[in-house]
Amino acid sequence: MVAVDLPLPRRPGETDEAVAVPAWVRVFDAGLACCAVEVSAALRRYASKLPGEAAVNVLVVAGTVTDKLAPLVQAAYRDLPGPRRVLSFGACSNSGGPYWDSYCVTKGADQLIPVDVYVPGCPPRPEALIHGLRLLLTGAGDRP
Amino acid sequence: MTGAQLLAGAARHLPSARCAAEEGTVTMEVPREDWLTALTFARDTAGCDFFDWLTAVDEQDHGLAVVVHLYSIEDQQHLFVRTLVPPDDPVLPTATPLFRGAAWAERETHEMFGVVFEGHPDLVPLLLPQGFEGHPLRKDFPLAARATQDWPGAREPGEPAASARSRRRLVPPGVPEGWPPA
Amino acid sequence: MNGSDLDAGHLPPRSRGVIALLEENCTVCMLCARECPDWCIYIESHKQTVLAPDAGRPRVRNVLDRFAIDFSLCMYCGICIEVCPYDALFWSPEFGYPETAIAGLTHERDRLRDWMQTVPPPPAHDPGAPPPREAQAASPGAGPAG
Repeated sequence: MVAVDLPLPRRPGETDEAVAVPAWVRVFDAGLACCAVEVSAALRRYASKLPGEAAVNVLVVAGTVTDKLAPLVQAAYRDLPGPRRVLSFGACSNSGGPYWDSYCVTKGADQLIPVDVYVPGCPPRPEALIHGLRLLLTGAGDRP
Repeated sequence: MTGAQLLAGAARHLPSARCAAEEGTVTMEVPREDWLTALTFARDTAGCDFFDWLTAVDEQDHGLAVVVHLYSIEDQQHLFVRTLVPPDDPVLPTATPLFRGAAWAERETHEMFGVVFEGHPDLVPLLLPQGFEGHPLRKDFPLAARATQDWPGAREPGEPAASARSRRRLVPPGVPEGWPPA
Repeated sequence: MNGSDLDAGHLPPRSRGVIALLEENCTVCMLCARECPDWCIYIESHKQTVLAPDAGRPRVRNVLDRFAIDFSLCMYCGICIEVCPYDALFWSPEFGYPETAIAGLTHERDRLRDWMQTVPPPPAHDPGAPPPREAQAASPGAGPAG
């Protein structure tokens, strides 16, 4: 699992004080299926090559959680040091998504671990991960 | 071997095989007892030494059809070898002595369809979690979620939610007749 | 990093971000709810008898009580939009609507109507393409161009 330090992108004109949150998160990408590609694109596009002082660890569950893989997702959360949050990325991880009726799919990562933010999409755009992280940390996201 | 040579070779070495040829592809159907003979012919005589995949098709009353896709890189010739195993005795000799790559494909076919590959070195489930019961890709294995979940499309236009109609409700696609059992 | 990438304005036409509902066009035919592979469209309705002033007899129409799309299940296939015979559903490129609770991903009628404001106008036809059928029907003397 890749851990990437991510400085949270700011909107034009937005200052650190305006956002008033830790500016860095450490993203642990549990990329299970196709959504992993979008998370990788987001991390590649927005991550800094310099290490930052991440104040919170975020486990990003991206992709279909099969019943066989479920114990590993639980272990990833259990072994994540605090302060920690969980972000569910994509329809499969939110609720089982297009595979809701499958014989071997866990219907959402929140069946296994507590989830703090759900990012909808199939797959969500890489920028949707940034929106999700902003919501996770600001509590208000981009909505007025 | 080219397609034409394959057909001629099969006629000579596998008299029990039924062959059909298309552009670049030959499909060969053999009885179960000639399964290994056919695969050996395909690899050693016909030059189809690239093992692509092995899977099964649930033909219901007729049994389970096991299909292998082989390819000759040198001649650019595809070959499908099919056989049928009866539903009450779904046993087939393993192809692993001929193609090592068939090991995982046979494990998956075994857990999904219930075909038993005799002589397989390690015929345990590959993808399904421990304790899973049943063979999911058989046609008589319904998706339970579709039958138990309320289908949003079951209501007719204009039919209120708390409708007390005794008319038989629409069944969603994918749910077999009479399922779930009462 | 470019902050404007976080908005949907720069995306190409027909980008699939979220689905908007134009309630006035919906006749509650239930096709979208039936065709949705994820069963994520929830529709409730009832029938209403309407007597228009000049009508010869009363007519019955379907009244939409609830139209919700559960975007936690939605796989953005677009089958609902394609199958709707009355053009009540539209694609919008907006993609930034994460939630802290999964129930918040079920958008009800009012929220689906709000998304209509973000639906872009349809892209223009390619140069040299025959005129749209609506324009041909409006001026029958023009004749088919293609």
